Amino acid sequence: MRIAVVGKGGAGKSVVSANLARLLARRGHRVLALDSDTLPGLSISLGAEVPEEAPLNDAAERTEQGRWRLKPGIGPVRAVQRYATDAPDGVRLLAIGKTDKRGLAVNRASHNAFYEVIHRLDRAASLRDWVILGDLPAGARQTAFDWAPYAEHFLLVVEPTWQSMLTARRIVRVARGQREDATFSLVVNKVTSDEDAARVQEFLGVPLIATVPVDEGVRSAERAGVALLDHAPDSAAIRAIERLAEKLDVGNIER
Amino acid sequence: MKIVVAGKGGVGKTTVSGTLARALARAGHDVLALDADTNPMLGVSLGVGPEETDLLVAVRQGLETGETEHERSTEGFVERFGRDAPDGVRLVVASRIDRPNPGCMCCGVSPEGLLNELESDGKIIIGDLEAGIGTVLRLQEGQADVVVIVAQPTAKSLNIARRAVEMAAEKSARTIVVANRVRDDEDLAVIREAVGDCEMIVVPDDEAIARADREGVAAIDVDPDSPGVRAIIELADRLAAMAVPA
Repeated sequence: MRIAVVGKGGAGKSVVSANLARLLARRGHRVLALDSDTLPGLSISLGAEVPEEAPLNDAAERTEQGRWRLKPGIGPVRAVQRYATDAPDGVRLLAIGKTDKRGLAVNRASHNAFYEVIHRLDRAASLRDWVILGDLPAGARQTAFDWAPYAEHFLLVVEPTWQSMLTARRIVRVARGQREDATFSLVVNKVTSDEDAARVQEFLGVPLIATVPVDEGVRSAERAGVALLDHAPDSAAIRAIERLAEKLDVGNIER
Repeated sequence: MKIVVAGKGGVGKTTVSGTLARALARAGHDVLALDADTNPMLGVSLGVGPEETDLLVAVRQGLETGETEHERSTEGFVERFGRDAPDGVRLVVASRIDRPNPGCMCCGVSPEGLLNELESDGKIIIGDLEAGIGTVLRLQEGQADVVVIVAQPTAKSLNIARRAVEMAAEKSARTIVVANRVRDDEDLAVIREAVGDCEMIVVPDDEAIARADREGVAAIDVDPDSPGVRAIIELADRLAAMAVPA
């Protein structure tokens, strides 16, 4: 199962990705979570420590021609073994690194290493049985620049607002422009009524796989900066993401 | 005067920018609203309508297919890639979703560069920036007179707001935090703790703004007297007091 989670900023991508990753791990899968956002989001929602320095900075080097490449002897499998960090429930987290005051330049090696790793995941035999779950940054840009080449399926996380719906439609167009066979399903988040989900689904014309209700547990977990699964394991939002995990697990993706 | 609006994705940057632009225009100012987000949505918050907002992006994407001629001057850019929004606001979309094509104004210039190129001339320019912290990091000293940082009471948003406040202060711009979607004292306390003694406007969680987001209309058109909209209008008044009259 190889999935990219996409949507507008604030729609709930990281909350969905993180809990999905942990719940799939609890169902017995080996899970690799990919964080290509330079802002913290996924790690907070996972309840994982963020290393100060991007581990993948050690994985790449610059050739004499000025091109970045993975160091000799480091392929995607070794990169995951060495540079992914542990998150709760046994999830492994490979992250691009966070922007700080020093700007993007300090993580240039990491960005290049990450990009190369994700483009070679399909050839990594020992990761074949893993769940690979990527949490992309807000908007359509990374999709346009092929930052989810591993994805067999896109999960669109959308809240019932026009900005969120338009963003999702742009992402679908960009992804379809990239590859004709891209498939999508829709997670409508922060839902207050049945009508919300129906409206979003009708606008996007993408199969609905989950609706996640507006939830006080999410609100307080987000305020505290802790993982929802630890903070409010019995919340309605977690129950909804559990059902999503189950659907994905049995391959019940309508296409 | 140049104002830029920054913050995490989904915190309400665009709603604040759009409402601010409309309020300043209603107060008689000449306002240029610059959508510098790579996922441009400012049109929605200005009240241009969702599909019209998407059309502006389509025009810029049309450059790719050769359907649209490239543009080399700033004036031409504002003219051709902009449109009028209610209350006389001029809206311009600065970013493309995909790759730039250097060599002309419409593709080669970064939103930050465009902000530099545009002349204030008594106008108020409001730049709705891309989500995150990079835009504030790249901001040059003197490029913006005011940096508005929108934050909401979540750890993720405050992680960004805290750093953005520090960076903006180093660029000696007046920095104002918009504490958005505040429901209770605890919400306000976590924001205050993150951003220290920075100047702040509190925008309470507001049903009218939520409705505007759902319906794809401008909050100021839903209810100009709702508590959230009133707070943003108060911010407009503070900013207008800084502006040199045209």
